[in-house]
Amino acid sequence: MNKLAFHTMILAFCCGMMAPALAQEQKAAAAAPAPAPAAETVCFESRKGASEVTKRDLQPGWPNVKCSPKTGAVLWWGDPFDGTVPMGKMPLLDKIPEGHAVIKPRTEKLALMPMCGVSCHNGIGPKFSPPTLPKGRKPAPVPTMEAMVPDLKDLQHGRGRIWCLDCHHTTKRNMLVDHFGDPVSFDQPQLLCGKCHGDKLRDWRDGIHGKRIGEWASTGKKRWFTCTECHNPHNVQDGARNRGFVQIAPEAPPQLPRGMKDAKYERVHGIAH
Amino acid sequence: MTPDKSPSADPAQEKPSHSPTQAASADPSAPGPTTSRRGFLKAGGALSMSSLMGTAALMTQSDDAAAATEWAEHFQKNYRLMTDAEKAEARTRLERRYSSEYGKKVTVDTTGPQPGVLMGYALNIRKCIGCRRCVHACVEENNQSRGTRPGEKIEWIQVLRMERGEFAKDKMNQGYPEGLGIQVGGNAYTPAGQVLEGQYRYEPEAVPEKDATYMPIACMQCEKPPCVKVCPVRTTYREADGPVVIDYNWCIGCRMCMGACPYWARRINLTTPVLPKEEMNPVTHYLGNRPRMRGVVEKCHWCLQRSRQGRYPACVEVCPVGARKFGNLLDPESEVSKILERKNVFRLKAELNTFPKFFYFYD
Repeated sequence: MNKLAFHTMILAFCCGMMAPALAQEQKAAAAAPAPAPAAETVCFESRKGASEVTKRDLQPGWPNVKCSPKTGAVLWWGDPFDGTVPMGKMPLLDKIPEGHAVIKPRTEKLALMPMCGVSCHNGIGPKFSPPTLPKGRKPAPVPTMEAMVPDLKDLQHGRGRIWCLDCHHTTKRNMLVDHFGDPVSFDQPQLLCGKCHGDKLRDWRDGIHGKRIGEWASTGKKRWFTCTECHNPHNVQDGARNRGFVQIAPEAPPQLPRGMKDAKYERVHGIAH
Repeated sequence: MTPDKSPSADPAQEKPSHSPTQAASADPSAPGPTTSRRGFLKAGGALSMSSLMGTAALMTQSDDAAAATEWAEHFQKNYRLMTDAEKAEARTRLERRYSSEYGKKVTVDTTGPQPGVLMGYALNIRKCIGCRRCVHACVEENNQSRGTRPGEKIEWIQVLRMERGEFAKDKMNQGYPEGLGIQVGGNAYTPAGQVLEGQYRYEPEAVPEKDATYMPIACMQCEKPPCVKVCPVRTTYREADGPVVIDYNWCIGCRMCMGACPYWARRINLTTPVLPKEEMNPVTHYLGNRPRMRGVVEKCHWCLQRSRQGRYPACVEVCPVGARKFGNLLDPESEVSKILERKNVFRLKAELNTFPKFFYFYD
């Protein structure tokens, strides 16, 4: 009897050990076909960290984007209006037909933004009537904020002439602010940037400054790239940077002609034209 | 007079060009075509024309899309002289051929120039950061050859890196003639302006570099194009809406146009173009990005397959700094017209009187 009980116990133990293993195998079998399409390619549109696109097929043999194998930048758009929304009201853009100026909303891309207004800045905030503004307009050291914006205390935008609350709303921290103290959406940064950079705003409005994709006719539908898709407002005066744009890795150079071992040859000898 | 009476008169047996591995083959290891339009017609000259035409009529009804296309292409007119019906026919057979060759549905557009449109291009020379995304976007869009062996990689846009010169105060009076105090800003020994003619194959870790400026060059789509002037077979010509195009079927590969172009804008397919099936862009235009054959010249055409449909050229869309602008010069509201009206504009080698429709500008 003892022996039987012992064997039963061993059998039960073994079954107990087996069950999770079997379950795991079943899970693995069920999950095996799933990860196959999960090899997704994400590439960035203008600059790294601003806007990203996941590669997929619009039709067989017709991808929505082609990404550079070297840098990961978008090299080609199949559908330029993928994921865009109408830009909304914009001064002096009345002649553009409704829905012909579209943008890609950035608010959903900003991971921390939904938290800004509730977790730390709950809408009350410190008393910011002018007499109690901190002298020198230096942000108070808050470790979490400094982790997000490393140069917070020495922000060089405008060569140090502006600070956080010149752009961010005092109490609604998930909004920007215009000259009248009214909140501006993160999707419409041009309304904020144009406060100081009026000439650039005018050029942007007329299609001279900045980037657009879509239809070239002046009345055609276009996707407008807004200011912060190309410029990082916290990093506008990076020392290593040149000409208003962050440094990026270039794409591969052209093929070397026969007899030229490397690009240095060109540097030393120049081009024979 | 039927072609099957004389087997030797059937060029299908003599010419390997009817094999499925055609020019612009997707398989780089496949042998290239050994015939050209010129050679083919020369060989055909020995035969009676009617027997050739009879064979052609038979071949065009063949099941092999590539063979039928090849035959029809050898006997088609210059694209400019084709009637609308002939264009439609050429389009249908090319679509059939490319679709079977690349394993996807390929469309060949034949949209002509629209009235009231004169395309123009502008490039902000101060903005360009030399990232070369335009170069690679152009290759992706326009089905250029992208092999790795010499001559197999074709890029229409070149980005020229130029070193910034130094106009140092102590060098300003070092001019020729020495000692006379005439300020020319440097002399032959210590140039103060551009110190390099330029580099196309620069490869820094990050751009823009502090000590460099960048100058992208491609076809300028001249109003008076020297390449058109010299073409002996009139395969290249200027379209009514601006771009200078090439009828690839009539190109004999003589490279006169390459010699005449002052902007180094034209490339020749010395080898059979390498275009992998999966990377082939299926939206094509007859005069634009349809797959080219060996031995023809190709060049930028402002993405006719896109711009004739209203879309920006690929290089405009891809430029991360928005330095490239495209629009209708006849429309005062277009981006290019606004730039011409408001900015400082220059054209490259304006003294050659080619009147490019490609404008460089700066703020």
